[in-house]
Amino acid sequence: MVVKPPYKILVVDDEPDLEPLMLQRMRRNIRRGQYNFVFARNGVQALDRLHQEDDIDMVVSDINMPEMDGLTLLQQIPKVDPNIRSIIVSAYGDMENIRTAMNRGAFDFVTKPIDFRDLRVTIDRTLQHLMEWREALASRDQLVALQNELTVASKMQQSILPTHFPDHPGYQLFANMEPARSVGGDFFDVVTLENERIGMTVADVSDKGVPAALFMMSTRTLIKGAAIGSAGPGDVLREVNNLLFEDNETEMFVTVLYAEYNPANGEFVYASGGHDPPLLVRPDGSSTSLPLTGGIALGLLPDLNYRQNSVILEPGETIVLYTDGVSEAMTSDEEQFGLERLRDAVAADPGEDAAAANEAVFEAVSDFVGDNPPSDDITCLTFRRTVSG
Amino acid sequence: MSVSTEWAWNDNAIVVTADGRVDGTNARDFQSALEAVIEASDQAVILDMERLTYISSAGLRVILLAAKSLQRKDATLSICSLSDPIREIFSVSGFDQIIPIHATQAEALAARKS
Repeated sequence: MVVKPPYKILVVDDEPDLEPLMLQRMRRNIRRGQYNFVFARNGVQALDRLHQEDDIDMVVSDINMPEMDGLTLLQQIPKVDPNIRSIIVSAYGDMENIRTAMNRGAFDFVTKPIDFRDLRVTIDRTLQHLMEWREALASRDQLVALQNELTVASKMQQSILPTHFPDHPGYQLFANMEPARSVGGDFFDVVTLENERIGMTVADVSDKGVPAALFMMSTRTLIKGAAIGSAGPGDVLREVNNLLFEDNETEMFVTVLYAEYNPANGEFVYASGGHDPPLLVRPDGSSTSLPLTGGIALGLLPDLNYRQNSVILEPGETIVLYTDGVSEAMTSDEEQFGLERLRDAVAADPGEDAAAANEAVFEAVSDFVGDNPPSDDITCLTFRRTVSG
Repeated sequence: MSVSTEWAWNDNAIVVTADGRVDGTNARDFQSALEAVIEASDQAVILDMERLTYISSAGLRVILLAAKSLQRKDATLSICSLSDPIREIFSVSGFDQIIPIHATQAEALAARKS
């Protein structure tokens, strides 16, 4: 079931020059036996190929094409094979189409002109997700006990977490999720937006197991889609809440803190859907929880409005987004880690390195709880405006 | 770490008292206990949380499920006697806007009668 490389990638573009260019720029990966490319000139040709060849792992598709465009193709692919993942290639700034593509289930996107290094990273990440997903499906087929289901769910959960963080002179961002042994539904995500803005998500799904992992995956994709070209975090949560509510028959819900940062003016805008508020830590070590925006957890009720709040981050200031696995981590005497200790852990590291500050939180939690096993996932995202930023 | 539930018949509601903590490891037990109560009658349910020390989002989901199954029977779920940390969890998650919350069991029962 779990296919080994080379992975077969179908590239769909009406531009004939792309084929030799792709083969040339990806030649090392082809020679190493990692990728194997096949091509189609439009959606109709692509679907024909997908029907004829059942070993295609993923699709990289342009949007504007004759006969059948990329957005229509995206809707057709799952009917051929729901386990194929797609990356959409779009004009830079064409946020409306990228957004539609993500909402139609595209796994990720790259913009034109194609940066092949970026495309390679995106392909690898998609393939990695795909492999973990297939492995999860394979073990689900052999599912006999709940423990197995939890293993499957945890693999799915791991496979959507970013492993690369943006490299920007104006800010640093780092995040991590430590799964509880048996339960939890935390995830985080990062999305690059127009004009160097960046979106970040920390979320907690209310249930465990495979259905919760699927709910988590749709939440992640829907946020990514809604974030692109939206009017801001409040708008994003409103859209995602409605989409989640529509096909939610499981009474699951997700608490989400979604925020956007603009390096041009240091503005940090956030909205909460039933989630703990961001923590602001200043370079002198003082800190404060930012005001809650009062939104309800997502997926529960339709047509809700979500308020957003905005702060200007000064150089050197840090924002920490976390799940209740951090604040409510507990010793065997049921004492909670709490916000004070979280603040102390972040404030103790005034350096430039967000990764180290984030790591310090996990160490502090682990020192605090001792050998008491965590009852919930622990997720923490540290965002710092650099001193020069 | 566990949760236990007791229930008592009242004039027009069943009062369920939860004791302990509800997290992902025992949310299913909590769910079964509430389902049994809802199954057994068509009356409204009041969940007294005075002795509850913690509830995770998995526990909130169980409460939501209970509220929905009661709704299908034209009955209601309300909650009372929340400690400060639990009230905070209800307020941050927005659940206080979905489920009626009362300060005391007496108030919750009075609200049933009115």
